[in-house]
Amino acid sequence: MVGTMSTGEAAYTSIQGIVPGYLLARLARSDRYERAARAAQQTLVAGRPVFHSTLELSIGADGSLIAEVSAAPTRSIFDAQNTEKLPGVLVRSEDDEPVADAAVNEAFDGLGATFQLLLDAFTRDSLDGAGAPLHATVHYGDRYDNAFWDGSRMVFGDGDGEVFTSFTRSVSVIGHELGHGVIQSSSGLVYQGQSGALNESIADVLGVLTEQHLLDQTADQASWLVGEGIFTEAVQGRALRSMLEPGTAYDDDELGKDPQPAHMRDYVQTDEDNGGVHINSGIPNRAFALAARAVGGHAWEGAGLAWYRALTGGLEPTAGFSEFAEATLTAAADIGVTVETAVREAWVAVGVIEDAREPERDPR
Amino acid sequence: MHENQNETPVDLTEDAGTGADENRIVIAVVRSGGFAGLRRRWRVEPAIDAELSWIALVDRCPWDERIESEQPGADRYVWSIHARLRDEQRQQVVPDALLQGAWRELVDAVRDADNGS
Repeated sequence: MVGTMSTGEAAYTSIQGIVPGYLLARLARSDRYERAARAAQQTLVAGRPVFHSTLELSIGADGSLIAEVSAAPTRSIFDAQNTEKLPGVLVRSEDDEPVADAAVNEAFDGLGATFQLLLDAFTRDSLDGAGAPLHATVHYGDRYDNAFWDGSRMVFGDGDGEVFTSFTRSVSVIGHELGHGVIQSSSGLVYQGQSGALNESIADVLGVLTEQHLLDQTADQASWLVGEGIFTEAVQGRALRSMLEPGTAYDDDELGKDPQPAHMRDYVQTDEDNGGVHINSGIPNRAFALAARAVGGHAWEGAGLAWYRALTGGLEPTAGFSEFAEATLTAAADIGVTVETAVREAWVAVGVIEDAREPERDPR
Repeated sequence: MHENQNETPVDLTEDAGTGADENRIVIAVVRSGGFAGLRRRWRVEPAIDAELSWIALVDRCPWDERIESEQPGADRYVWSIHARLRDEQRQQVVPDALLQGAWRELVDAVRDADNGS
């Protein structure tokens, strides 16, 4: 994307964007932007770096050319061609223009949206904080009803067309899957039982934050739904999960009712689904949504920052809800009293921690 | 805390029968996990003239083989497969990444034979 934007400083005219190769070549031929053209020519002569960067060119009041380089995604989208063989055939790379296949472009854009959230909100350069390339495979399997993270890439099925449409349609789904990559390269939460449910919840948090960041939504404007638009119209449901009201996302004659609990008293013990990781994630999900709405504004700036710092601040791989709650409280205290209060009240509301301020009962 | 109604991979009493039903052949598959976390279940109780082909499908599966339950990544399916061949019960949990060969053939056959629930 190349465009003219205001920096808020009248003295500057800025051309900013992630500059793919074809646009860099076009810029190099520009008559209008002579200095930028020379810079682009030099970049092309020097060759492309292994990892992409955002090149920001500004022309100062004195006519000098200011060039700033910051992180940018390196995306590759593959097509499994309805087989279950990974990675599939490479169909779009970072410098390529959009292709005719909507799923490819949706995946590409979703990877970019997630990258931008991590960079803008948390100053994190990709999944590992070190510019790791982002890989995705679309059209996995035959009417495959799932999207998953395989440990190094995200994989999307097309859906069966009866219950699920294409999984690339939801930015929150893409952000969720890449969220697993962030978790894997930070705390490495074990995907079983309570730490697994925490893993799922944090992936949901990063998924909805990606969507909210992309749409520039505040916490009270957001839907707090994960996977909105993934169900076909035949299904009685809004989305796969509701972070604000777990257990209410769908209630369908065939699929049954959304089984997510919203409070620790309803925690589900089960051997299936790695110990109910997609079920019990409803509890920390609600805590995050409540905290974010109490703080107000952009969720990634208050509660989101506390969650991110808790995740990346030495959290044990086997941490449960209460350990994570304590970590978020520690992080929130560094951010400010408003965030700390909101986070504490949210964890109390879902029964993960007790309200320390509750007055002791008179023993008489 | 709540106990999930479906805590065991397959409800043996419901699926395989007891007492006078001990001559039944029942094969049941439960799929859990996945991004959506939706539980799906398929079950087949073949007619007598189809029993031999179903027994062959079941026998081809390596039931006694140790399967590593952990799989890399997240949001993968987990398949719980149970077979009752008259008085014999077999059960295995197979991660999605390992659902190949005879396991895949058996699961696909059960899914094709039942619309699921």
